[in-house]
Amino acid sequence: MSGLVTRRVIPSAVIALSTVSWPARGRAALERARGGRGRLELFFSFDDPCSAVAVPELAVACAARPVDLVLLPVAERGIPGDPAVSDKRREALVDARRRARRAGREMLRAEPLEPGDTAFLAHWAAAAPQGQGLEAFCLRALAALWFETAGPVREADYAAIWRAELHGQPAPGEAAGRRPEALMRRRGPYDVPAAVAGGRWFFAHDRPAQITDWLDELGWGVMA
Amino acid sequence: MTEVEFFFSFRSPYSYLAAPRAFALRDRHRIALRYRGVIPMAMRGQSVPRAKQLHTLRDVKREATRLGMPFGPVHDPIGTGAVRCLLVAEHGAEQGRDREFVLAAGRGIWAEAADVARDRPLRRICERAGLEWEGCRAALAEPRLRERIEANTARLAELGHWGVPVFVLGGELFWGQDRIADLEDALAAHETAPAA
Repeated sequence: MSGLVTRRVIPSAVIALSTVSWPARGRAALERARGGRGRLELFFSFDDPCSAVAVPELAVACAARPVDLVLLPVAERGIPGDPAVSDKRREALVDARRRARRAGREMLRAEPLEPGDTAFLAHWAAAAPQGQGLEAFCLRALAALWFETAGPVREADYAAIWRAELHGQPAPGEAAGRRPEALMRRRGPYDVPAAVAGGRWFFAHDRPAQITDWLDELGWGVMA
Repeated sequence: MTEVEFFFSFRSPYSYLAAPRAFALRDRHRIALRYRGVIPMAMRGQSVPRAKQLHTLRDVKREATRLGMPFGPVHDPIGTGAVRCLLVAEHGAEQGRDREFVLAAGRGIWAEAADVARDRPLRRICERAGLEWEGCRAALAEPRLRERIEANTARLAELGHWGVPVFVLGGELFWGQDRIADLEDALAAHETAPAA
């Protein structure tokens, strides 16, 4: 009996309930009636090549809609204790190179980055206020890390980008850097890049069409 | 003829989504698509967190809708059911009916909640795939077929991969039902490349 519940009843119910969208659509309509905008939270990592492909794509998608892109950099990602973590890092690089090529971009970096190489970027970005300056910094830093260089990551180079985009000094803050990780776990994703909108989450590099379809369904379509 | 290996698990709903397009590659390209059924990841000592299990069901439902495929009600075949399907699929491959069986079993498990650990639902799937039940039942106890499944599973590990569906073309790996377009690009390049 318990086998029937765990193998059939629960998964079938999860699937059926996943198609219910009216509560999210209702909340979005209420927000519009108040004059508000949509919100798309994007959890990403600077050491993740798939994030380097997904963040610019979703930045463009959100800019075309009345949707605020909330960038949430994650320093430590993945399933804890995953035995395939190094294989997955290599696979992510191969996959991201193919995705980038489809978008007309060539990734220069051929070896995975270690999380420690870019943790300082996640901590800086997590401590900064959301807005165009942060978005510009994240886009430029991801481009520099994956599309413009293949060598070691030097903090001074990224501090220069920070000064250019946010007009100040980055604030080192590991405590702030941990907040997006905790929020990501609460929202549901267990890895990056992950986009959350209207109570649903998606792997951002795999499902760009699903994400924009969902934003459309919520009523956050492309502006005329 | 160019060989493409197709690593598949009956416990993987993403494999179910991939299978129709994977076997259709045989129709569109001059390739030998080699079906390689593997033992489910969760039966190979790799744990799947709850969050991942839930996300997979929701994500597959959305992808299935996009692809025009039914998804749900389901009956998770982990354990005996998955192994029985793997054995029958090997038998089906020997009969030239791997495609028919894999598609029928996928639909049974992931869209009709067929409990393939039981004889009656499995028999119905076998017959739908054009396989005689007596031959399929004999396959369930065939050590030679079991060895082949273990060899497929070992081959996937040798390739440095953990999940399914995976396609291998000339040493290059393509992971995921949503990466078949990348495989087709590589196949097109392969087909137009001058012979060495």
